[in-house]
Amino acid sequence: MDLTATQQDEAFRARARDWLCANRPAEPAPYDGPVSRTYATDWLARCHKGGWSGLAWPEAYGGQGLPPARLMLWYEEYVRARAPSTLDCTFVALNHAGPTLIARGTDAQKAFHLPRILGGRSIWCQGFSEPGAGSDLAALRATGRVEGDELVVNGQKIWSSYADIADYQELLIRTDPGASRHHGLSWVICDMSLPGITVRPIKNIAGVTHFAEVFYDNVRIPLTEVVGDLNDGWSVAMTTLAFERRTAALALQVELSVKVEDLIRLADAPAGSATSARLSDLRAEAAALRAMTWRTALREPDTPFDGSLVRLAFAELAQEIHRAAMDILGPAALADPRWSHDYLESFSETIAGGTAEIQRNIIAERILAMPREPRA
Amino acid sequence: MSFDLTPSDDLRQILDAAQTMLDTHYPVARLRDGSDDSLAALDEFGAFDLARPDTEGGAGFTLVEEAHLHVALGRHLAPPAALATAIARRIDPTATAALGFSQEDAWLWLPQPDTAQALIRVGNGLTLAPAKATETTPALGGTYAFAKAPPSQNARRADAATHLVAQVLTSAQLLGVAIGARDLALAYARDREQFGRPIASFQAIKHRAADMSIGIEKVSALLDMAAIATRDASPDAGFLCSALARLAPRTTVETARGAIQIHGGIGFSAEADAHLFLKRAHILRAFLGPDDMLEHKAPLAPY
Ligand SMILES: Cc1cc2nc3c(=O)[nH]c(=O)nc-3n(C[C@H](O)[C@H](O)[C@H](O)COP(=O)(O)OP(=O)(O)OC[C@H]3O[C@@H](n4cnc5c(N)ncnc54)[C@H](O)[C@@H]3O)c2cc1C
Repeated sequence: MDLTATQQDEAFRARARDWLCANRPAEPAPYDGPVSRTYATDWLARCHKGGWSGLAWPEAYGGQGLPPARLMLWYEEYVRARAPSTLDCTFVALNHAGPTLIARGTDAQKAFHLPRILGGRSIWCQGFSEPGAGSDLAALRATGRVEGDELVVNGQKIWSSYADIADYQELLIRTDPGASRHHGLSWVICDMSLPGITVRPIKNIAGVTHFAEVFYDNVRIPLTEVVGDLNDGWSVAMTTLAFERRTAALALQVELSVKVEDLIRLADAPAGSATSARLSDLRAEAAALRAMTWRTALREPDTPFDGSLVRLAFAELAQEIHRAAMDILGPAALADPRWSHDYLESFSETIAGGTAEIQRNIIAERILAMPREPRA
Repeated sequence: MSFDLTPSDDLRQILDAAQTMLDTHYPVARLRDGSDDSLAALDEFGAFDLARPDTEGGAGFTLVEEAHLHVALGRHLAPPAALATAIARRIDPTATAALGFSQEDAWLWLPQPDTAQALIRVGNGLTLAPAKATETTPALGGTYAFAKAPPSQNARRADAATHLVAQVLTSAQLLGVAIGARDLALAYARDREQFGRPIASFQAIKHRAADMSIGIEKVSALLDMAAIATRDASPDAGFLCSALARLAPRTTVETARGAIQIHGGIGFSAEADAHLFLKRAHILRAFLGPDDMLEHKAPLAPY
C-alpha cells in the first residue's frame, strides 16, 4: 500500500493547480435560473478547452481517461483552488447521463449527445421521482404507450433538479403496464422542448429554484430515444452505480476538509475550549472522509453497495459542519451566505439521491446481510 | 507502485497466518474465566518484531502490515501487553512490557506475568520503566498493579517517531475491538428471535449496525492513510495520526455500547462477551492519551 506521488504525479498536480488558479471564475456561482446555466456552461466550456473536462470518461468518447489517483489529485487541487462546486446544472449530464449513454446507449445516441455534454452545450436533468414514488422508486406510474415508432408519455415527475433550464431529461417510465414493479420500465431520453411538457419550478428552503415538477400530456418521443431495451429501464437506471465512485462527488467529499479549515480560521477558538474540541472532531472527521474517498477511488469495492458507507458519512459530516458553524459563529453566520445559505442547502444531503434511512437499510441488508425489509 | 490501497499478497498471508494463531491461542472466550493470558504464542509468531528490519532480527515488514496485524489482535482482545510490547520494542529491542497509564502521580498497569517492565502513558508522553508494584487495585477491566510513586531510575521516554507509532497501533487495536464488538452483535441479532422474527430484521437494530459499520469504515480508511504516512515519514503523518487518535476511541466506545444494547439482558450479564469489548475500549482510550488535532498544518488547506 502506498500513497507516494511520483515526479509525473507532482508535475500533473502542479499543472492542475496552475491552470485552476489562472482560470477559475472570479465571481461566485449564481444560485439558479438562466444565469446559473450560463455560468456553469461557460466554466465547463473553459475546462473543455483547457483539456480538463470528462476526466473520468474514456478517451474514446472524448474524455481524458484519467486513472483514479490522477482524478483525486485533480479534485484536491480543484477544491483548494475554490473552483466552482461540481454540483451544478452540468452534474447530471457529466456524472450520470453521459456514463449511462456510454454504457448502454446506441452509437447514434452517443455520437449526438456525448460531445454536446462535454462541451457544455447541453444540460440534462433526471426525471425518476414522482409524487407517489420517492424512496420506493419502483412504484412509479408515469406511462409510455407504444404507438407506431413512438412512445406517448403521460404522467408527472417531481423534484427534477434543473428541469427548468435543462435541454434533456433522463426519463424513467412504465412501458409495460402488465409487468410488476421493476419490470416493464424504460429509460428514455426526453427532449425538454417537446410539445405537451409543462415545467413548474419549485423553490427549496434556501430560496433557490433548484428543482421542478414536470407534467407530460401525450408527449410523443421517438422509440429511438429509448436507452437499453424497451422494458429494461431498471437495469439501465442501476448501470451507473458502478461509475458513481469515480464521479465529481469525490470533489464534494474532499471539499468538506476545506470547509472545516475555513471554519477553524473564522472561529479562532481558544485552546482547550469546548469549541476547539468540537472543531478538532470536525477536522478528524473530515480527514477520515478524505481517507475514505481515496480508498473509494483507488480500491475495488467489496460490494457494489460500499458506496453507501461513504455517501452517508459525507451527508452527515456536511450537515454537522454547517450546524457547528451556525452554533459557533452565532449571528455572524446568519448574515454570511457561505454559512447560512449552505447550512440550509445541507439539509438535502440526507434526502436527495436516497435518504439516510434508505442508505442505512442498504448497508444493513446488502453489506451486512441482515434480513430484508418487508416489501410491496 | 504509487497510489495503491489494495492490501498486498504479503499482508494477506500475514493476516491469514495470524488468524490461525489467534483462533487457536486467543479465542475471546478464553477471557471468561479470567485466567492469565500469556504472550508466548504471539512472541513465537513474531508479532512484536514484524516491522523491524531483517538485518536486526525482525521480519522486515513495515508499520502498515503491523497495523493490520494489530487490528486482528484487537478483534481477539489479545493481551494489552502485546500492544505495549510492540511499541516498547522501539525503545528497547528486547523489552516486553505491561500496558498502563498514570493517574495524578501514581501509575497503574495491567499486570502481565511474563513482563518486568511497563509502558506507561503520562500526559502526552510514553515512558518505559521497571514495573514494581506497591499494591493492587480493582478497576475497570480487571485488577491493576499500582505504584504510588513512579520509578525515577531506568525510565526511558518514547521519542516523537515512537509516539506516532503508538497512535497508529493503539488505534489499530481499537478498530479491531470495534469490529469484534460489531460482529458479535450481528451474530447475536441474526440468531435471537422476538415477535416471531430475528431481531436483525428490526430497523432500529439494522440502523445501529449500519452506523457502527460507517464508523468502522472511517477509522479503517484513516488508519491505512496514517500508517502509510508514518511509515514514509510524510509531513502529514502528525496530522493524520492525531485525527486517528481522536476518532478511533470514540468510534470503538460507541460501537461497544451498541453491542451491549443489541444483546438485551444478556448483554448486561457477565456471561456474554459484549462487556469485554467495552472495557478494552476504555483501557485503550486511556493508553492512547490526548491528541493535538488543531496544532498541525492541514494537508488540504485552501490556497
Ligand atoms: C435537493 C434534491 C434534489 C433532487 N433531485 C432529484 C432529481 O433530479 N431527480 C429525481 O428523480 N429525484 C430527485 N430528488 C428526489 C429524491 O430522490 C427523493 O426526495 C428521495 O428519494 C426521497 O423520496 P421522497 O421525497 O418521496 O421521500 P419519502 O420516500 O416519502 O420518505 C419520507 C421519509 O420516510 C423515510 N422512509 C421511506 N421509506 C423508508 C423505509 N423503507 N425505511 C425507513 N424509512 C423510510 C425516508 O427516509 C424519509 O425520511 C431530489 C431530492 C432533493 C431533496
